[in-house]
Amino acid sequence: MSGSAQRPATFDALARAAAAREGVEEGAVRREFVSFVLDGDPYALPIERVREIVRLRPITPVPRVPAAIRGVISLRGEVVEVLDLRRRLGLPEREPTRASRIVVLHGEDGTVTGLLVDAVRDVLRITEDRIRPASGGEHDGVAALLARGDQFVSLLDVERVLDLAD
Amino acid sequence: MPSRGPCSRGRARGRSVAARRKGGDRRRTKAYREFVSEAEEILDRMRGELADLADGRGRGAEPDPELVNRMFRSAHSLKGLSGMFGIDGISELSHHLEDVLDRLRLGRARLDETAIALLEEAVALIGLALERLEDGEATGISDSAAGLIARIDAWTAAPTAAEAGADLDLDPLILRALTEYEEHRLRENLRRGRRIHVVEASFDILTFEEGLAELTSAVREVGEVLSTLPSPGESPESQIRFSLLAATDLDADVLARRLDLRPEAVRSATRGSAEPAPRAPEPASAPAHDEPAYDAPREPADADASDGTLELGSLKSISETVRVDIRKLDELMNLVGELVIQRSALAKLAGSLRRDAGTARAGAELEKVLKGLERKLQELQAGVLEVRMVPLRQVFEKLSRVVRRLRRDTDKEVRLDIRGADTELDKLIVEELVDPLMHVVRNAFDHAIEPPDERVAAGKPREGCIRLEAFQRGNDVVIAATDDGRGIDVDTVRRRAIERGMVAENEELSRKELLELVFAPGLSTRSEVTETSGRGVGMDVVRANITALGGIVDIDSTPGRGTSVTMTLPITLAIIQALIVGACDQRFAIPLNSVRETLLLDPSDVQRSDGRELLNLRGEALPLRRLASEFQLGPVERGQKQYAVVLGIGDARLGLLVDRLEGQQDVVIKPIQGPIRSVRGIAGATELGDSGAVLVLDVSALVDDARGREGQGGAPRRMA
Repeated sequence: MSGSAQRPATFDALARAAAAREGVEEGAVRREFVSFVLDGDPYALPIERVREIVRLRPITPVPRVPAAIRGVISLRGEVVEVLDLRRRLGLPEREPTRASRIVVLHGEDGTVTGLLVDAVRDVLRITEDRIRPASGGEHDGVAALLARGDQFVSLLDVERVLDLAD
Repeated sequence: MPSRGPCSRGRARGRSVAARRKGGDRRRTKAYREFVSEAEEILDRMRGELADLADGRGRGAEPDPELVNRMFRSAHSLKGLSGMFGIDGISELSHHLEDVLDRLRLGRARLDETAIALLEEAVALIGLALERLEDGEATGISDSAAGLIARIDAWTAAPTAAEAGADLDLDPLILRALTEYEEHRLRENLRRGRRIHVVEASFDILTFEEGLAELTSAVREVGEVLSTLPSPGESPESQIRFSLLAATDLDADVLARRLDLRPEAVRSATRGSAEPAPRAPEPASAPAHDEPAYDAPREPADADASDGTLELGSLKSISETVRVDIRKLDELMNLVGELVIQRSALAKLAGSLRRDAGTARAGAELEKVLKGLERKLQELQAGVLEVRMVPLRQVFEKLSRVVRRLRRDTDKEVRLDIRGADTELDKLIVEELVDPLMHVVRNAFDHAIEPPDERVAAGKPREGCIRLEAFQRGNDVVIAATDDGRGIDVDTVRRRAIERGMVAENEELSRKELLELVFAPGLSTRSEVTETSGRGVGMDVVRANITALGGIVDIDSTPGRGTSVTMTLPITLAIIQALIVGACDQRFAIPLNSVRETLLLDPSDVQRSDGRELLNLRGEALPLRRLASEFQLGPVERGQKQYAVVLGIGDARLGLLVDRLEGQQDVVIKPIQGPIRSVRGIAGATELGDSGAVLVLDVSALVDDARGREGQGGAPRRMA
């Protein structure tokens, strides 16, 4: 990389810079997402927001919180709330299985939150021109659709999913 | 002088949270944080030094030169520090503060009222600039700072009172080698009529440091060593000669005898003394070239030279302490916690190995090793905790400065009596204690202690006393502020509470319950607003702050005799002792400091009144809550064995019913991270073995809730 003075600050900028060097056209910039499954459907989150993915561990229920909060887990000394993404998106209830994972997200303010999902699939790398606006789909937490082959993956709007005020 | 109101605490907290959440360039924030914390430390030190200077002057004493020097060095460090970080406002102010102090320490100006005022203003403005900086405001020079700087410039430009004019029979080379400060000390000693002598001594080159130190301290017993200079006189190989410039009341020959030196080794430099002046160092013996004859290790006549050596001394002590971000200690604490959990997993494994006949030996061996590991882990944990501990002294000193200032600004005569300043507490707790304690002390000064004449009329000593006392009790630290003032008039409290609709007109309240009302929001027993203790915000904030630290505040007062506010705090926030209880299939931790007792429930002790359950505890009726229903953990099974945990916050009690008591344990309370964060009744969570997180109950919230519902109007109700 060239001088650190102009080091790009975000992944986005980094990808653009890389694309520019390789002579790739704008719009063909690659972006990375973590894709996972909920109720049989594919979903994704921007990889920059994912701190780690952990296996299911004992979740301690917390009283007096919205039902979407399943409880808290202990993560190497940190106590982190786990949001049941099925409940949050209004999908049918199902008890976690061996395949279930907790996707730990970085919050904007330095705190972290866990999202309980059915299974994690892979890291999705697609170019920006394959990101489509959300079709006003079923869940208001969807920010956009990612075209993966002939399948659409719902990209979640992290801030809206984490905002439990509504 | 600007006074910070009691609301400043809320602001401070808001600010620190905002700062924590601010993203941005990490390195800058970190460096900034370090700058602010170091600058605050220096500023605090200067405030203390300034208060001591002002006090000394008030008593009419000569300013202690070492004190002026110390404050000069503080200003000097702050100048360097803020310059390094490009904080011009603070750098300019401290530069000018340094100028004023420099003139004082060199005796070019007297420490009079003007000087004190300039110093006080400069320190106050630096404090303000630092606050504004923390608020993310400008780093430049404010208007008031510019005004002060102009006044300081005018003051320092005034003609100096004393000019050198050394009227001494001293080798000009010696005179020239003196630093400005040494010159000042020389003048000062002459003014006081002391004699000045040059003491010559030679030492073996290998051991001269010890010899010189011995000689120096011997001279100090009878006077002052103004300067120590290597002497160029003839001396045998392997010997090194020194000239000490000494100021004393003794004659040269007497001094020589005291120092066990030959008479000719001590030569008087004071003119008019009868003694001859043998063996004056010959300028001719100086080397031919232009180097100064006294090849001193320091730069002669440089104003900063004396600081150089002094700072060398302080640098050495600094190198023995390390400044550590408390968050790093938190990380270490986390690691220790994890190790403890890993250890219990190992212990489980060892247990199952031991139960199997084939591996029983190995299991037993493993258990033995684990015992050792556990001991070391405990030591490690204690060690990390100890590092977080700081004495309360700093906070107490801050308070005593506030009282001194109040005493100067008002016509009250109050003395602050401090005891147990060495009592240690977790640094985080100590920081959060400053504002509540400040509030309590100001309250006592302002409202409790009567004016001198009123005190005399009441048969009390003219001077009021606020006693601030700290001591350790088990795992708690108790801090009590006791005044000998007028005490709280519970009838006034009652009237106010009725006026505000907090208590019904005909409600019967005990004296204790009435005193408790002092902690209710919005109830101040004085109608007038004063500058020192602010308006309205009062003991309710103190209680909220102390409760947030896991502590307890109690108040006791006797009319005419005084009031005592007692705060009981855990020694550390990092680790608390907890009672582990179970309800349905969940476990909870209850901080042990709010558990008064536990008992197996006799179902006949549960009574109903007004649609609520009460616990009859030896004839006293306590509000009763079932943990399972309080937190909707599941159906309450009747007929099952149950335990009552009696919780207490201050005088308020609550009976909490649980299914199981699972023992005591040291736990590390962690905040809950995520979108919700704060849940009423939950103080945080902790890790317990391999079962994941366990919630820690917020006892004061539970007790408050139960009381609120009990009394409907918010006031506690008599239930006996």
